[in-house]
Amino acid sequence: MKLTKEKLQDMYLRMRKIREFETKAMGLFAEGKIPGFVHLYLGEESAATGVCFCLRDDDFITSTHRGHGHIIAKGGDLKFMMAELFGKETGYCKGKGGSMHIADRTKGILGANGIVGAGHSIAAGAGLSISCRKTDQVCVCFFGDGSTNQGTFHESMNLASIWKLPVVFVCENNNYGISMSQARHQAIKDIADRAASYGVPGIAVDGNDVLAVYEAASEAIARARKGLGPTLIECKTYRQRGHFEGDAGAYKPPEEQKEWLEKDPIPRFVKFLTENGFSAKELEAIDASVGQEIAAAIKFAEDSPYPAVEKTVEDIYSDIIEEVRTR
Amino acid sequence: MKTMTYGEAIREGMCIRMREDKNVILFGEDVGAFGGCFGVTAGMFAEFGAERVRDTPISEGAIIGAAVGSAATGLKPLAELMFIDFLTVGMDQLVNQAAKMRYMFGGKISLPMVVRLPAGAGVGAAAQHSQSLESWLTHVPGLKVVYPSTPQDALGLMLSSIDDDNPVMYVEHKAMYAMKGEVASMDPIPLGKGDIKRAGKDVTIIATGKMVHEALSAAAALAGEGIEAEVLDPRTLFPLDKELIAQSIEKTHKVLIVTEECKRGAYSGEIAAIIAEDYFDLLDAPIARIGALNSPVPFSPGLEQYYLPNAKDISAAVKKIA
Amino acid sequence: MSSIGIIANPASGKDIRRLVSYATVIDNNEKVNIVKRIILAAQAFGVEKAYFMPDTFCIGYTVQEDLSREGVLTAGIEVLDMQLSASAADSTAATVMMESLGAGCILALGGDGTNRAVAAGIKKTPLIAVSTGTNNVYPAMLEGTVAGMAAAAVAGMEDPYAPCIHDKRIELAINGKDTDSALIDAALTEDLYAGTKAVWDISRIRCLVVSRCHPASIGFSAIAGCIDIVRDTDDWGLCLNFPEGESLPAGGKKILAPVAAGILTELTVSDCRRLNLEEEFVIKAGKPGMIALDGEREVQVREGDTLSFRLRRSGPWRVDVRKALEMAQKNGMYNR
Repeated sequence: MKLTKEKLQDMYLRMRKIREFETKAMGLFAEGKIPGFVHLYLGEESAATGVCFCLRDDDFITSTHRGHGHIIAKGGDLKFMMAELFGKETGYCKGKGGSMHIADRTKGILGANGIVGAGHSIAAGAGLSISCRKTDQVCVCFFGDGSTNQGTFHESMNLASIWKLPVVFVCENNNYGISMSQARHQAIKDIADRAASYGVPGIAVDGNDVLAVYEAASEAIARARKGLGPTLIECKTYRQRGHFEGDAGAYKPPEEQKEWLEKDPIPRFVKFLTENGFSAKELEAIDASVGQEIAAAIKFAEDSPYPAVEKTVEDIYSDIIEEVRTR
Repeated sequence: MKTMTYGEAIREGMCIRMREDKNVILFGEDVGAFGGCFGVTAGMFAEFGAERVRDTPISEGAIIGAAVGSAATGLKPLAELMFIDFLTVGMDQLVNQAAKMRYMFGGKISLPMVVRLPAGAGVGAAAQHSQSLESWLTHVPGLKVVYPSTPQDALGLMLSSIDDDNPVMYVEHKAMYAMKGEVASMDPIPLGKGDIKRAGKDVTIIATGKMVHEALSAAAALAGEGIEAEVLDPRTLFPLDKELIAQSIEKTHKVLIVTEECKRGAYSGEIAAIIAEDYFDLLDAPIARIGALNSPVPFSPGLEQYYLPNAKDISAAVKKIA
Repeated sequence: MSSIGIIANPASGKDIRRLVSYATVIDNNEKVNIVKRIILAAQAFGVEKAYFMPDTFCIGYTVQEDLSREGVLTAGIEVLDMQLSASAADSTAATVMMESLGAGCILALGGDGTNRAVAAGIKKTPLIAVSTGTNNVYPAMLEGTVAGMAAAAVAGMEDPYAPCIHDKRIELAINGKDTDSALIDAALTEDLYAGTKAVWDISRIRCLVVSRCHPASIGFSAIAGCIDIVRDTDDWGLCLNFPEGESLPAGGKKILAPVAAGILTELTVSDCRRLNLEEEFVIKAGKPGMIALDGEREVQVREGDTLSFRLRRSGPWRVDVRKALEMAQKNGMYNR
């Protein structure tokens, strides 16, 4: 796989954006500026970046409750994302969705999703649509290890395999379904093993190595574009934070946490870049630009108005605005 | 003017739009060469091919989910669940995904999808294949719910359902598939427009689905006794044609609501509440309501008939208020 | 007391070669099955203790639990107390521990990669290499029961090396510093990073060293096997160079080679020559790249690095399973 310097730089930029966005979101949530729940993607940046790097704007993704990383990697706008986290009118969803429901149809982002396992069959549907419309788009379905115990995982892998849909199922095995470690929630270690039962190739990759993820994803996506059907890629990674902010993750053994922090994808990629022609100065410049972009996004979110209460009943239907009075 | 069965009218509605728009596709369990469990999709596989008339595995979550995903990305899917009872298996996809996507995403994603839901008892299919679960659907903001009672309405509502930019739940009564009727118009019937199936001045009977026909036979019997009952079929449960209901009650001042659902928590209760809240002054008698017994649908034919509301029950209820 | 060691790599058999070729899929539950057969056969022929490398799938514990519940476990099972890194280093560390515990035979379940890691730790214990990996040349496709019987036979032999072959190894030094080694093949590729490790774009390989090769195999060594045959007993290997670009250089050869499972690729070899034991094959890296050891990108190469490949008989003592069981049969192992 050939990667030019520009591409490597873009890869780093996306990972850094996710890292900074999430770090800032963590602080803003703690300050009480972000209502509700936030599920941070810290430590998994390489997975979303490696995969989305192989996608075009007209390709689709489905995401999860831990979706910020996928959306940023797929080209989501940080301003609209941050405003949505704040519940502001200018947010991606006009403040009606929040952290768990960010979507951007123009970038093929079919939405983060608050229901574990829901993205699978939506992705199969997007694959069906591509197949019927006969384009060479693909849909990537991001999901966690926990969701592979939902019926939809089975139903959708099955549907995608019998219809040879252009869907790449990307499991981010971060070792936890909320508080339950993988060893407690399923009797297998490699979710990739499950692919064989659908007649689908299943492979496991080091999810904290953006280049490994990129290689695997580009092969799988090329395969999907050629009409050869779905692939299951399991990215072995780790959720550095709790399930949501406010969950201290007391169930995570400290040695495990420590071990995985040492495998943090970002320093790892920085090491690769510095050994392959990037100067510290170049990387610092990227970091600085990311910092500025995120500061601008926060300012945009803070300065934006909250939606007017009358908007509550809009956007339920394309053509009906419900009565405000009836409650 | 054509004579068609209810089932044929549903099929004709689907075929008309599938001929016009290649992005309209149909999928569900055994809807392909097999022609559907009730034969509703017979011949469609031959006409439109395996690509557009797809047999799915027995996998309701995937059927509804795939409808959501394909509707969000450029298709107009027609998904068939073999029985409305199987909604339970795909309920997350319907309630948490289909109904909420547009809203959660700030109006930026449209889901032009139709889910066909064969409902109702009377064919000896017992508790898991006979229910009327409309009120589950009307309860959820984001869904539209239609329930035709005649071939004409079945065709017209199917066209409008496919044309709609929102998820439309198309409830069809499985015991009416063979029922014949005149189809005078091939035009869409707008969602949210009810229909007076028989005009009368003494009492309004609001009925849905197969109960429209029970109400019509009750009205015929009542006419012999000097009571002129008006039979109003809302046709669309949501959006509901409140205006037509108001107009009718303004004339009759009495109302009976009949649906085939278990009475407890039935949509008839919602209609009754709307009338009580908005048109109380028009009423000369308490609102009356009939439903099926609050029981799972029994199998044995005698029990099943006992469970279901019928024309006699309707006549008796009308006589109490008229 | 007769004991054996079992190193079952839970990660083998699920890398990207399932996507870029038609490689075998073996799930971890099947590895548990294979190990059960090994244990049942080994204990029947006198093995009293089996040491297990711990792993993330808990193969050792699962085997112990299942066989105990069924009431058929007679041997003692001990899962080694060691810190897991969930990488190849675990296999190396476990091998060292098993040797110090006096295991009479070590069984490695995995592919060429797993065996390379075991070889890095093994000194004198006979090794049975059972294939559960991908494009394997080193480990053989062996029935677990047969492998278990052979392990018991070797562990109980007076001269456990009698049925063994002392394998060759390709030792790699970069700029004079010993770096790593391969059992079967070492290839210099133009890839710049390890990524998913496997190499499937053969056009990016510049040179190849093999310790043995045969046309009845797949993978890089099979490229050499299309031209010549080198057996495990031969005191030499081969070096091959590949031209950049399509043109056929003088003395070059065009071949169709089984480079991966189900993948037959046409390629050009500029030259192929013998590399004798202890002889050094030295090249200067003209550009950055990676060295793939036994099929996996492992070692980074910088422009100007001096790469030295030396063939030595420093590999494991690998058990010839058929020979071991033939000897055991003659010695009456099966008699009751």
